[in-house]
Amino acid sequence: MLFESLAAGFELFLTPAAIGLTLIGVLIGLLIGALPGLGPLMGIILLLPVAISLPPVAAMGFLIAIFVGGSCGGSISAILLRIPGTPLAAATLFDGYPMAQNGRASDAIGIAITASAIGGLIGGLVLIVGSPLLARFASGFAPPEYAILAITGLFAIAVISGDSLIKGLIAGCFGLLLATIGTDEFSTGYRFTFGTHHMLNGFHIVAVVVGLFAISEMAYQIMGRDLLKTPNVKIARPGFGSILLTLRHWKNLVRSSGIGVFFGALPGAGGVISSFTSYAIAKAWAKPEEKYGEGAEGGVVATEAANNATVGGTLVPSLALGIPGDASSAMLLGALLILGFVPGPILFEQQPEMVGGIFLVYMSANVFLLIAGILVTPVFVYVLRIPKFYLIPVVLLLCSIGTFALQASVFDLMVMLGFGLVGILFRAANYPLSPIVIGIILGPILENNLRRALLISREGYWIFLDRPVSAILVCINVSLIIGAIWFGLRKRKQKRLMVANDEI
Amino acid sequence: MPSAKTLQWMVNGFLAVIVAIVFQQVYTSMTEQGIASGGPYNNGASYPRAIAIAIAVLVVCQIFVDRFSTEPEQKMDNGIEASDLRRPMLLLIVFAVYLGLLKTLGYHLTTTPLVLGIMLICGARNIPKLLFSALTMSFAFAYIFENFLNVVLPGGIFSLNIPW
Repeated sequence: MLFESLAAGFELFLTPAAIGLTLIGVLIGLLIGALPGLGPLMGIILLLPVAISLPPVAAMGFLIAIFVGGSCGGSISAILLRIPGTPLAAATLFDGYPMAQNGRASDAIGIAITASAIGGLIGGLVLIVGSPLLARFASGFAPPEYAILAITGLFAIAVISGDSLIKGLIAGCFGLLLATIGTDEFSTGYRFTFGTHHMLNGFHIVAVVVGLFAISEMAYQIMGRDLLKTPNVKIARPGFGSILLTLRHWKNLVRSSGIGVFFGALPGAGGVISSFTSYAIAKAWAKPEEKYGEGAEGGVVATEAANNATVGGTLVPSLALGIPGDASSAMLLGALLILGFVPGPILFEQQPEMVGGIFLVYMSANVFLLIAGILVTPVFVYVLRIPKFYLIPVVLLLCSIGTFALQASVFDLMVMLGFGLVGILFRAANYPLSPIVIGIILGPILENNLRRALLISREGYWIFLDRPVSAILVCINVSLIIGAIWFGLRKRKQKRLMVANDEI
Repeated sequence: MPSAKTLQWMVNGFLAVIVAIVFQQVYTSMTEQGIASGGPYNNGASYPRAIAIAIAVLVVCQIFVDRFSTEPEQKMDNGIEASDLRRPMLLLIVFAVYLGLLKTLGYHLTTTPLVLGIMLICGARNIPKLLFSALTMSFAFAYIFENFLNVVLPGGIFSLNIPW
C-alpha cells in the first residue's frame, strides 16, 4: 500500500504545476509566517480560494507548502524583531533573539530553517509510514467508531485550545450547528435555509473561515499603534554552513522532531505545545555550559524541529481518519473535500495516487524550505520593513476577491463580513475560534455516522458501547472531559490561593 | 473597552438567539416538511436540536461559572483605549459599504477607494503616494485573479471589465 501509493503519486507530482506551486507555496508560507499577526492558518485560509481552481495535487502541494513554510517563517521575526510571527515561534525567542543580539542573527535563522526542514522531513517519514497503517486499521471502522472518533477530535481541540473547557465546547458545538445548514442528506429536507437558494448548500466554509479568522484579525491589527512604523530590521544572510551547525545537535534534532510528531498526531495539541515541550526537555538535558536562554543553538533547534515535525504528525490522523489535528489541517481537509476527495481509509483504498502525491508534495516542500529558505531569507527581511498600513488592505482585498471567486457570489462576501463580526465578538470574549472550524469539518462526519449507527442499531445508543473500539473511544472521551474539569478546578483553586496570598 | 462580563453577556445573547432560531425552525419549517419526527433516517431535526440543547446547557454552565467565580473581574483592554476602537469600527463600516456597492458599481470603481480609505483609517496621510499604492494594489489583484485564475470580477452596472 505504501510503495504503491508513492509510485502512483510520482506521476501526479512530477508536473511543472505541482512542483512549481509547492515551491511558491513555501515562499508564500515563509512570507506570511514572518509577518507578525499572520501565520500558516491565515496563509491557508487566504489562498484556499486560489488553490481550489488548480489541479488536485498542485492545489494540495500549494496549501501544504504554505503550512510548512508558515510554520517556519515565524522564527524570522522572532529572531530579528523579538516578535514571533506566529505563536508557533514563541519559544524560538528564548534563544533566537539572544543569538541575534550576540551578532549571530544569520546563524540563528539558518539553524531555524534547517531544523524546521529536517524536523519536517522526519515528520514526513512518520506520515508516509504511519498514515497507511492507521488507515488500514481504520478500514474496519463502522459508523459508530467514526461518530465517536469525530466527538473525540472535537473534545480534544475544545479541551486544549482555550482557557475554558466550556467556551471551547460551545465554540465546537457552534461549528457543528453551522454544518447542519442546507439540504439534509438523508431526508433531503431543507434546514435553516430560510427559503433562499443561497443557503441550500449551507455557508461556504471558506467564507465562514475567512470572516472568523482574517477579518477579525485585521480588525484587531488596526487597533495597534504601530501601523505607520517601519520596523528597524538588520539584513541577515544565512548560509548553507547552518546545516552543519544544526547537524551538530542531531540528538536534540531527532528527539524534538519525535516530540513534534507525537503532539501533532494528538488532535488539538499542535505546534505551540510541542515547541515549548521540546524546548523544556532540550534545556533539561543540556549541559550548563550550553547556556539555554542566552543564545544556545540547541534551543532554536529544539523549538523549530518540533513545530515543523508537528505538521507531518497532524497530517497522519487528518489523512488516515479524516479527523483534523488542528485548525490548519482542518482547512487542508476542507480543501481536499472541495476538490472532491474524501479523507480517510477510503482515500487510501480508492485514490492511492492522490495520497502518494500528497506525501511527495509534503516531502518536497521541506526540501524546498531548506534550500529556498536559506537563499531567499534576505528578501523576507526586507518585507518585514513594510509598514502594516500596506498589509491590512492587501489582506482584506485578498479576502474579498478570494471569497468572491469561490462561486462569483456577493452573498458569500456578506457571509464573510457577518462571520467577521462573530469572530471579533468571540475573540473579545476569549472564545477559541479553532473548535468552530473543526466543528464545521467534523459536523457532516459526526451527523452522518451517528444517524447511520442508529439506523443499524437494534438497541439505540448502546451500539456505541457494544463495539470494542467505539467503547474505548467513549472511555477516552469521558476521561478527557473528567480530566479537563479536574484540571480546571485545580487551576481555579491555585488562582484563589494566589489571590489570598497576595491579599495577606 | 467593554468589560469581560459585558462581552460574555453579548456572546450569551448571541447564542440564545441561535438556539431560539433552531427551535423556531424545527417547529415551523422542518415540521411542515415532515422532517422533524420519525427514525434516524427521516428525522433531520433531531441532530441540530440536540446540538442546540447542548449549546443552551453549556451557556447556562458558563453563566453559573461566571456568577460564582471568585476571580476579580477582568478588563478586556490589554492597553487599548476607547479611541483605538474607532479605527476597527470605521474599517468594518467602510468594508461593509464596499461589499454593498461591489455588485452595483463593480470591482474597479469600488476597490481603489476601499484601499485608500483603509490606509487613511490607519493614519497615513501622503495622498499622492497612497493613491498610487491603492491603484497598484487594486489593478495588480484584478490582473492576477482575472488573468491567471479566470475569475470574472463584478463589472457593476457599467460592465467595467478590463480585457487583459
